Formats: sequence, structure tokens, C-alpha cells
Amino acid sequence: MEFSFSSSASKIVHSTAFTSLESGDALMLGVACLLIYLAIWKKFEPLLLLPMGFGCLLANIPMSMMASTDTGGLLNFFYQGIKHEILPPLIFMGVGALTDFGPLLANPTTLLLGAAAQIGVYMTLIGAVFLGFNMQEASAIGIIGGADGPTSIFLASKLAPHLLAPIADAAYSYMSLVPLIQPPIMKFLTTEKERKIKMEQLKPISQTVKIIFPVAVTIVCCLMLPGVTPLLGMFMLGNMFRESGVTARLHETAETHLINIVTIFLALAVGSSMTADTFLRIETLKIIVLGLLAFSFATVGGVLFGRLMCKLTGGKVNPLIGSAGVSAVPMAARVSQKVGSEADSSNFLLMHAMGPNVAGVIGSAVAAGVFLSLFGDVGGGIDTHAALAPVIGNPEPGIQALATVVDAIKR
Amino acid sequence: MEASVSAAVNVSILAMSVIFTVLIILIFTIKLLVKLIPYKAPPAPPARKVSASSPSGQDDQVAAITASLAAHMGKRPDEFRIVNIQSR
Repeated sequence: MEFSFSSSASKIVHSTAFTSLESGDALMLGVACLLIYLAIWKKFEPLLLLPMGFGCLLANIPMSMMASTDTGGLLNFFYQGIKHEILPPLIFMGVGALTDFGPLLANPTTLLLGAAAQIGVYMTLIGAVFLGFNMQEASAIGIIGGADGPTSIFLASKLAPHLLAPIADAAYSYMSLVPLIQPPIMKFLTTEKERKIKMEQLKPISQTVKIIFPVAVTIVCCLMLPGVTPLLGMFMLGNMFRESGVTARLHETAETHLINIVTIFLALAVGSSMTADTFLRIETLKIIVLGLLAFSFATVGGVLFGRLMCKLTGGKVNPLIGSAGVSAVPMAARVSQKVGSEADSSNFLLMHAMGPNVAGVIGSAVAAGVFLSLFGDVGGGIDTHAALAPVIGNPEPGIQALATVVDAIKR
Repeated sequence: MEASVSAAVNVSILAMSVIFTVLIILIFTIKLLVKLIPYKAPPAPPARKVSASSPSGQDDQVAAITASLAAHMGKRPDEFRIVNIQSR
């Protein structure tokens, strides 16, 4: 092989990514740096935005093979975890292991606040359709109002995978902005007197009830909405680890190491889907605006329903706990506590707000289940022949395959 | 799929109805569970007797510790009182 210094130097120069760097890539590198900045210096959901921003950074370096669409690339493998619905349910298992349903079980009517806050999902759905998205896309965008990252990713990957990046980005960004978005709406919709309402102490709940509850939720919800079983089933399994008292090691793993590892994979995979061609579109701007509306309407729905419950119970419910129905555990509950304590420093709403907060998680999962029932391909999405082909070759489908077997037996 | 605003409104009404139905079923399930399996407070641990004065047989130890502490803190022995000594 002949070696020429000039030709080799030229070859090295042409093999650098600078020669392939386009304006879109450069802009996305800027977006990645912005996400990293928001995570580190502004503390906006750093556990997610930091790896997501870095994933975006890696994906937008030309020739790096790190985008989610680069078959054989590292992050393409991580992305399979989203594509095949593995990572969001695993996150839900960890969330279940961290969740105490005690406040919800002590005051089960707060489940209605979790349902009312889902109004944000549907107002956004209508807004998205108005802006020109089709029903599947609008559903995936609307679920941002559920304020639940894994649910948003789960639904987007099923109904509108091409919008996954902006939806995940909007969902997590606005979740981190809950302490800024919610308080003005909560104060505007409630009176000083209502904000000062002190709620009765919650009754203790039998441990047996806490153990039976996840099984009951799984049976009721998953039988009604089977599409949501991967999310809700894993959520309740994680909670069983916590409450059963016999799986301390599994509980500890699910609520610490497992959720941390899966968070890294999930956030990197979402970041790797943020490439110029999927992100730098007018739809992204629309989704960011719709995401803000989703969170705002969800808060409005929760607080107004809280006011209704306040009237119906003769002033026993503080309407501020309604805003916690948007999910975003536990930040939304903390916001209820903070706004309540601003009105009366001796008012402690945190535990009361945890009820609607975890109800919001169930509510948003149910909302996702409804969308999957309406627009998804529940139970019919698996092509058995295609799945078996790598293992047993290309079997003939249906009756033909059966006839082949019968012939073989006859012979 | 047709995506009109009226269709989206219909979907929203239907979906909210389903969500409220599912969660109302859950509310009744929880109420039933709580009624069938009421909370029972765990038995209180046996109360430990705390004597106001030092038990018999510890007088010498109390005197010795009181004297040492008084010397250490620079106070008179009658300015403070040791009420209990427990061995680990």
C-alpha cells in the first residue's frame, strides 16, 4: 500500500464529522446543550433532562451512528426498549415500589380528583385536532396533560412514534415547571377562605387492604382496558413488592437500582430520537404550546372539581388538593402543600394531596388505556408468523400450515 | 381516520365517562375492602417501669457518678439529680 502524506491527511480531514455537519445538526446540538443547561443549572428534572440532552447531543453528531434510527448503533438498541414497550412499564414498576397508597385508601373519593384532572388531556386532544393533527397524534399529544412521562412515552410510541421526541421533551419539561405553572391558576380559582380549610387527619389503613388493593386495581382496570395492562400491571406489581412485606430485596431493587438504570436507558433513547428531521418541525412548536395548555387545563379541572367536593362536603375538602390530581408525583402534592401553607402556615395538606396525586397516576394510565382501546391495535399488533420466522423459518400461515402438518402425520 | 373537532369532543366525553366509571368502581372497591378489613391497631409494647429514684442497690453508684459529674461540671452535688441508670 502506497503512503502519501497529503492524501492521508486529506482522507482524515474528509472522515471527520465536520464535513457532514449540516445546519439542522448544529441547531440540534444547541438544543441538546440547552437541555443540559436546564438540567444542571436550572434543576429542571435533571435525572431525565440530563441524559436526554446528552442522548440528543450524541444522536446529532453526524456519522456517529447514535441516532435512534441508526440500525446497529448503540442507542438504537436502547430505543428498542421504547419501541417494544419495555422501558416505560419498568419505570412504572419502580414508581409503584415508591408509591404509598395509604392516603388514597384512607380517602378514596379523592380518586375523583385524579379523574377530573384528566380534563387537561381531552382539552388538549381537541386543541390538537383543531391544529391539524389526526386522532392518533392528538391522543399522544393530549396525554401530556396526564403529567406522566412514562405514560406519554408509552402512548406516543404506540400511536405516533414520529412525535415521540417532542412529546417526551414537552412532558418532562412541563413536569419540571409544575411549581411555576400551577400556583397562579390555583390562587385564581380559589378564595383565601377555601385555601385555609384544614382537612381531618387521615384514618390508618389495614396492611391487608394495602396488599389487596394492587390486585383489585389490576383486575378492575386491566379487564376494562387491557391495552393499559403493561403500565398499570407493572405499577401494581411494584407496589406489591412494597406492601407484601416478603419481598424486601425486590422492593429495594425496584425503587432504587432498577428505576435508575431504566431511567438512563429511557432518557438516552428518547434523546437519541431528537434528530433534526424529527424535531425541527412546526409540529414541535405546536406540541410545546399544546403541552402548556394541557398542564394548565389539568390543573383547572382538578381545582374546580376540588371546589365542587368542598361545597358537597360542607367545606371539609380543601380545593387546593385538586391540583395534585395531575399526577407529577410528588411535585404536584408539594405545590398543594406550599400554596396551602402560604394561606395558613399551620395548614398541612401534603398527605391529603398525595391521595389525588397517586389517583392522577391511575387516572392518566386509564386515559391512555381509553386511547389505546379507541385508536390502538390492542391484542392484534403481534404478527405470530413474523415473530416465529427467525426461529422456525417462514411457516405457512393458517390452514395451509395445518394442512402441511396433517399431511406429514398421514405420511 | 377522520379528525374533526366534533369527533374529538365526542371522544373526550366518552373517554371522561369511562375514566369516571372505572375510578368510581375503584372507590366502591376500596370502601368495601376497608369495611370488610378494618384497621386494627398493633398491640402496644409493654410499658417499661421508670422509677423516679434510683433502684435499691444503685445508691453507691449514683453517689459516685454524682460526685464525678459535680467535679467535672463544677457544680454542687445538690444542683442536679440522677434519676435512672441503665446498663446496656
